[in-house]
Amino acid sequence: MAWIRRHWTPEEADEWQKEDWIAIILSTFSYIALTIGVALSLLMLAVGFIVLILGIGLSVLLFFVIDPKLKAVSSGYEKKQKEYLEGLERVQRWEE
Amino acid sequence: MELFTLIDILWMIFFLSLMIGCGVLFYRLGRRSESDFFLAGRGLPWWLPAASVYATHTATDTPMWVTGVIYRYGMRGIWYTFFSAWCAISAFVSTRIFRRSLAYTQAEWQSLRFGGLGSELLRGWMAGWQIFMNMFILGWVGMAMGKLCNYAFGWPLWIGLMGFSCACAVYVLAAGYWGVVVADFQQGIIALAVIIITSVWGIIAAGGPGAIVSKLALMGESWRVNPFAFTGIFGGEFPFAWFITMMVISIIGGFGMGTSIDWYVEAQRIQSAKTVRDASYSIWAGTALVLVRNSLWAVAILGFYVMFPNIPSQAEYELGWFRIGFEYLPVGMVGFFFAAVLAIHLSTISTHLNLGAMYATRDIYHHYINPRASERRLVWVGRISTAILLLGSFVYGLMMEEITKWLIFALWIMAAGVWLPNILQVMWWRFNAWGYLSSWIANLGLSWLVVWVLPAFGLIPDLPDYLQFWALMVLGALIYVPVTFLTPPEKMDRLVKYYVMSRPLGWWGPVRKEAEWRGLLHMKGED
Repeated sequence: MAWIRRHWTPEEADEWQKEDWIAIILSTFSYIALTIGVALSLLMLAVGFIVLILGIGLSVLLFFVIDPKLKAVSSGYEKKQKEYLEGLERVQRWEE
Repeated sequence: MELFTLIDILWMIFFLSLMIGCGVLFYRLGRRSESDFFLAGRGLPWWLPAASVYATHTATDTPMWVTGVIYRYGMRGIWYTFFSAWCAISAFVSTRIFRRSLAYTQAEWQSLRFGGLGSELLRGWMAGWQIFMNMFILGWVGMAMGKLCNYAFGWPLWIGLMGFSCACAVYVLAAGYWGVVVADFQQGIIALAVIIITSVWGIIAAGGPGAIVSKLALMGESWRVNPFAFTGIFGGEFPFAWFITMMVISIIGGFGMGTSIDWYVEAQRIQSAKTVRDASYSIWAGTALVLVRNSLWAVAILGFYVMFPNIPSQAEYELGWFRIGFEYLPVGMVGFFFAAVLAIHLSTISTHLNLGAMYATRDIYHHYINPRASERRLVWVGRISTAILLLGSFVYGLMMEEITKWLIFALWIMAAGVWLPNILQVMWWRFNAWGYLSSWIANLGLSWLVVWVLPAFGLIPDLPDYLQFWALMVLGALIYVPVTFLTPPEKMDRLVKYYVMSRPLGWWGPVRKEAEWRGLLHMKGED
């Protein structure tokens, strides 16, 4: 699936890209499908099982699309976190 | 107590000891610092805050509320419970932005995003509001437990209200958020297991899935199985327009912070996750579990409906799921069921005790009263705040019968007119503290007018709730948009600093350009 980018540098991952928008859409539809799918499957309705499988599939696809980007965002951010935390405490202790 | 056998009592004692004991075990970690007492040192893997999201949003009153909407509306009532779907977008947008800000609370985040007097006013207001809200929720949930114990054992209301909350306070006072999140993990497992067992038991008691569907058909109520059985575009008790409004509020709300009352709880879990990735997955997975749980309950309640159709009293049919547990589970399992009820109760109580105390400690005491306080003192202030919240919640709980109507209105006030500003503060660089403050103030007045005053004088008709939402959103915008443009934007230094740290989504063009010009970010398209 070359259309979906799987390798990111932290700087590239910090930007909002199409993969983020795809994740937003997949996530929303997977929630809807999981909600309806579980309920109708428990009632043993065929449509319920189809929707549930769709919901699980969308969730897996969501992970496939967004996980490499989230990993890159996290690894880049963690290097700067200590400095940011010190800044936050300076703002909090405003007397200094 | 005639429902309980010896084995039931043993189940209950065993689970209470386990929950309190595990929480207290983390005493040494909780007392190390403010960050440990309120955020578990920001070091949790995704599955712990995820379990906490699930456990916290499974409260004693939740099965009553879900039962109420499913019993009344059938499967389409599931959309009432769909408000938590704001996490679908939030997990990958506002969660990421908030985690990067490192703010302990939403009030603190606003003091990073906004500046000057407006920001300080906003922080004080938001902290005060959250202390009040957490105390109120504690009273509300505590009273639900009081009613349940009254139904099950005939105890006076105050015993259920105070007894279990005090037990819960033991580990929250000792270990802070460490105790909350560890106890939530085991409580989440216990609660999920019992929800599955009890709901499946209820479905079987109703004759099984096939029997539920066929009995509803015989009753001429097959529509109860259809989640999309709308009563028209605008008319009837379940119009399509309501559904669309709910979808917009719940899903689009994920772009903002505070568009749902649950945001404030989730924000603490987001900051306690060890990385941005862990924060995203914790919110997504915890909420997915909440939605699946709702579906499970919904089917069990359809089963309850075919066994007991046409119960006229809402107070009576709202106890449907609890009735399945107490009346249909076999001997020896009732104590297990009640232990799960305790688990869902304690998980909610512990969260709101610690969350309210965090606003009191971090945003009021630490920021305004004693900015140079030591970590040891801050932990103690956290404990004292926890105790005050607990006592305050008892007062609210005992008054609840009289004030519920007004407080539900307060929740409505909070949700409708500030929904869009809660998104704008995240996505639009030009939105400032004065715009946000004016939206709150405008909403306080406008919601009274639209919901109570104008209909009472016959100046406008009684609007359905979804139309009230749109009306309040538009009327509020007529005030806060001009206020925003008539007051200066936040200082560019602050906006650039915030942008570089949090990397928000939306309309941040001028700030981005300034950050690039200062050499803090690479130019787009640059290698």
